[in-house]
Amino acid sequence: MRRRDFMRAAALGAATGAMAMPRLGHAADTKVLRFVPQANLANLDPIWTTQYVVRNGSLLIWDMLYGVNDKLEPQPQMVRSHDVSADFKTWTFTLRPGLKFHDGEPVRARDVVASINRWMARDATMGLPIKRRTDALEAVDDATFRFRLNQPYPKMLFALGKSSTPCLFIMPERIAATDPFKQISEYIGSGPMRFKKDEWVPGSMAAFERFAGYVPRDEKASWLSGGKRVNFDRVEWHILPDAATASAALQNNEVDWVETPSPDLVPLLRKSAGVMVDIADPLGNIGSLRVNHLHPPFNNVLARRALQIALSQEDYMRAVVGDDETLWKPVPGYFTPDTPLYTEAGGEPLKGKRDYDAAKKLLAEAGYKGEPVILMVATDVNITKAQGDVTADLLKRIGMNVQYEALDWGTVGQRRAKKDPPGQGGWNIFHTWHAGADCVNPAPYIALDASGDTAWFGWPKSDAVQAKIAAWYDAPDLAAEKTVIADLNRAAMEHVIYLQTGFFKGYQAWRNNLSGIVKAPFPVVWDVTKA
Amino acid sequence: MLAYAIRRIVATIPVVLIVALFVFSLLYIAPGDPAAIIAGDQATPADVERIRASLGLDRPFLVRFFDWLWSVVRGDLGTSIFTNLPVSHMIQQRIEPTLSLMVLTLTLSLSCAIPMGVIAAWKHGTWIDRAVMMTAVFGFSTPVFVIGYLLAYVFALRLDWFPVQGFTSISQGLFPFLRNLILPAVALGLVYMALIARITRATMLDVLSQDYVRTAKAKGVGQRGILFIHSLKNAAVPIVTIVGIGFAALIGGAVVTESVFAIPGLGRLTVDAILRRDYPVIQGVVLLFSCVYVLVNLGVDLLYTVFDPRIRY
Amino acid sequence: MSTTVQAGDFTAAPTLPDVLPTPKERGKIGGFIYRHPTIVVGGTLVTLMILIAIFAPFLGTKDPTSLAPARRTREPSALYWFGTDMLGRDVYSRVLYGARVSLLVGFSVATCAGIIGTTLGLIAGFTRAFDAVVMRVMDGLMSIPPILLAIALMALTRASVKNVIIAISVAEFPRVCRLVRGVVLSLREQPYVEAAIASGTRVPVIIWKHILPNTLAPLMVQATFICASAMITEATLSFIGAGTPPIVPSWGNIMAEGRALWQVKPYIVFFPAIFLSITVLSVNLLGDGLRDALDPRLAKRL
Repeated sequence: MRRRDFMRAAALGAATGAMAMPRLGHAADTKVLRFVPQANLANLDPIWTTQYVVRNGSLLIWDMLYGVNDKLEPQPQMVRSHDVSADFKTWTFTLRPGLKFHDGEPVRARDVVASINRWMARDATMGLPIKRRTDALEAVDDATFRFRLNQPYPKMLFALGKSSTPCLFIMPERIAATDPFKQISEYIGSGPMRFKKDEWVPGSMAAFERFAGYVPRDEKASWLSGGKRVNFDRVEWHILPDAATASAALQNNEVDWVETPSPDLVPLLRKSAGVMVDIADPLGNIGSLRVNHLHPPFNNVLARRALQIALSQEDYMRAVVGDDETLWKPVPGYFTPDTPLYTEAGGEPLKGKRDYDAAKKLLAEAGYKGEPVILMVATDVNITKAQGDVTADLLKRIGMNVQYEALDWGTVGQRRAKKDPPGQGGWNIFHTWHAGADCVNPAPYIALDASGDTAWFGWPKSDAVQAKIAAWYDAPDLAAEKTVIADLNRAAMEHVIYLQTGFFKGYQAWRNNLSGIVKAPFPVVWDVTKA
Repeated sequence: MLAYAIRRIVATIPVVLIVALFVFSLLYIAPGDPAAIIAGDQATPADVERIRASLGLDRPFLVRFFDWLWSVVRGDLGTSIFTNLPVSHMIQQRIEPTLSLMVLTLTLSLSCAIPMGVIAAWKHGTWIDRAVMMTAVFGFSTPVFVIGYLLAYVFALRLDWFPVQGFTSISQGLFPFLRNLILPAVALGLVYMALIARITRATMLDVLSQDYVRTAKAKGVGQRGILFIHSLKNAAVPIVTIVGIGFAALIGGAVVTESVFAIPGLGRLTVDAILRRDYPVIQGVVLLFSCVYVLVNLGVDLLYTVFDPRIRY
Repeated sequence: MSTTVQAGDFTAAPTLPDVLPTPKERGKIGGFIYRHPTIVVGGTLVTLMILIAIFAPFLGTKDPTSLAPARRTREPSALYWFGTDMLGRDVYSRVLYGARVSLLVGFSVATCAGIIGTTLGLIAGFTRAFDAVVMRVMDGLMSIPPILLAIALMALTRASVKNVIIAISVAEFPRVCRLVRGVVLSLREQPYVEAAIASGTRVPVIIWKHILPNTLAPLMVQATFICASAMITEATLSFIGAGTPPIVPSWGNIMAEGRALWQVKPYIVFFPAIFLSITVLSVNLLGDGLRDALDPRLAKRL
């Protein structure tokens, strides 16, 4: 037995010795892109959920009627041309020829109509207002469909092409017929890539394969507009359990592109040969502490204001992105900094010295008597975990009874949809973040909508805010818009729609043999090549 | 011999049944509504009612148990509340990496541990003995994940001998397969190695102190070869016993190792499932691993007869 | 790593055969240390850890849960002996307070598993009918790898130190039961016990006077190994997110949170790992030494 063991050990030694020679480059197929997404892809219904990770995967599978470019201007994508009446009430669209679904079926206007109907039911900021003023949405023929509205809606193209979730993805009629409040189970689209459902290992890997039948537009691609030319036969999404593993994998050329490297590891990545790091999106993100307006204690505005005067955006931002002050700034308002409509009107509660005593008084006035506050923290996403920990500390400082629930992002995504009381499976607080692109003005801004029942999770209800949002749509020019936005910001701050934890920018990191990586609110795969 | 084998196999059946009973009843022992637990967080009250009806909570416990057992035997382990995929399908997707890791770990550990233990026994009382024993005690005192991160740091990041994470199927070549799995196997196997080395040493010492060995030594028979083979054969029973029992440590350790090295196996499936409270998946994995453990120990029992024909229970 | 087999199983150091040289020193404290180095080393370290845990507030620690993101990820320095973690909390304080949780879990599990296992083992040893049933059940329970059993139990309940203790105890008590039953069965054959039974002594008295004193030694040894195993299991559970709640600092938790930064700030994982390893090592050593000292032949029964 001993000799056999010895031989085996020797063989192993020889083998490892051989492998130990020069620093091996890892053989990487130039036609396969290995991508590490920001979170686990737990489901793939971009209408049912607004999670960015689902939208990012969906961008590969499904195509859109319009698509915004890097100036957030909607450009035609699946549509060849459109015709709109002078009063903005009748919109007629004609589809591009040659659009095909992955199962071989051509894309017909009735598929588009069904997809639009499903999307409108879930999109509070633009889809629902459109739906309310729609007299008829019909497929005129296989390539043409028409909206007949009873009130004008000038921003129709932006609605159809926006990148904020839920995006209007075009699905086959039979799939789009699924109840908008239930998840689809088939992932057939007309986008540049096909989803390999048989290779999907939830929690570990998802794979997309080039769809040969996709005909990209001629124009150059810019974000969601132009020709979506994918230079890979295969895109693999590797879900890596933690930031350190993802970063190490990138350094070792085991993956090509990491969507959200941990800011603490960025200096290490920068020093690593073969790795490029850059800001992912100059429009950045606004962190969000989302409260539940339906149930106590935060159904009382005084309790919400207590949080406002106690929370320290600096604490949150340092926890999320670290010490590099070029990466974050306080945002005492609801709109994206460095954009035309940014305002700090009404933002006083978030500025200045934090006042825990005043917060405790407000809580007492609001009638808070120590009931548990259910704080849902997604511990598998760095941004939400850091925010969650700071919030737990904050709540303790103002004397609230915190019940910290450590969950994963997928579960938070599902549980936040429940309107039940917190003690019965509901929630009081969860954290998320909104891409700056989604907060430039009220149009894509789902988190600002205060329509109550149809609003985003948390269900804030404020007629004042809704009135201002409507007023913004009617504003004739930028100056008028700014005035309305200032009022809107004040109203939103007074009502405390949600609590902003700060403005921050994130990094993305990739191997230097990839070219064509652009800065955008989402990973843009088209026009990326691998050497 | 055959009769013994059959008797052992038959004796395993009640154990397996009891394991299944435990796994099944855990759901009902824990506080909370079983239907709500299975339905999960995103279910509506209507969903919970539907699941409660399908659980048939009005039926007697044993009836429900045998019903469930019957489905399990036919391969139906329920449906994941999170992905809506059948649990058996999810397990199937993840079995190859875990199996590969286990086999490699077993091979490595046994081929290092047994010689280590034998040498320690042979050089009993010297520094070699102390060194081996100290290493062994350190081995099972440090958590697997710490060892894993240490190894990854030194050998993967600094020396770049091995990849940091991932799994390559053996169908894509032996070398890539081994490259991915060596570090996890060593991290996982250290504890196991420690156990086996210690038991090997102890049993060898025991055997070496037996009269017949001293007689043989005194008579000056060609010591090393014959002595070791005979001693080892006699020591085999306790060693093999620990190989079987210690397998539980491998299973448990795999859960953590797969997390550290991002191996898409059953261990990671379990970790993901517990974060989400995806109970059907956890139940399925626990049942599977327990049955494997029982089978491994059954194998050990049957192996006894090879080493020691005297054993008959 | 948690094992169903603890360090002490089947690793009996047999009495030294005559062919080997005898130790020179005898008697006195020096002799005790020479003969039982493992007990001394193990015992000292364990006591040290316990003292650290108890007196944590007085050992230069700050509040282990207070955040200060402005001071995050600072390297170990004169101000922060072990540095700060990603939320600015003092790692030194967290590690020292973490000792409380780990030691509490370890000792509680050892005690609970000990009490439950002993009770069941005594009953099984004395009642034939019960014995068969209980042993089958124990076999079944022992067939489920302990970490998985703990995971399954934690999946059904909320994260809390109490639930972790319960979950791990459930996984560990079957071995104690087996052990005690074994002792009971072998002692029942002894003449003095048979005589006691024959003369009408009631069973509880027999247990108290004859059985329990004899189980004490192997129980103590087994308890130390369970303690070590429980501490590692708790660390593992916390590491994968199924253990103590994140708000409560425990060595496993601290390592879990620090793992994202281990490439750049390894000290966050390093310090709790060292403390955990030393503690578990010393408990294991203590168990080893106890077993060797009390009666090497006992080990064969374990």
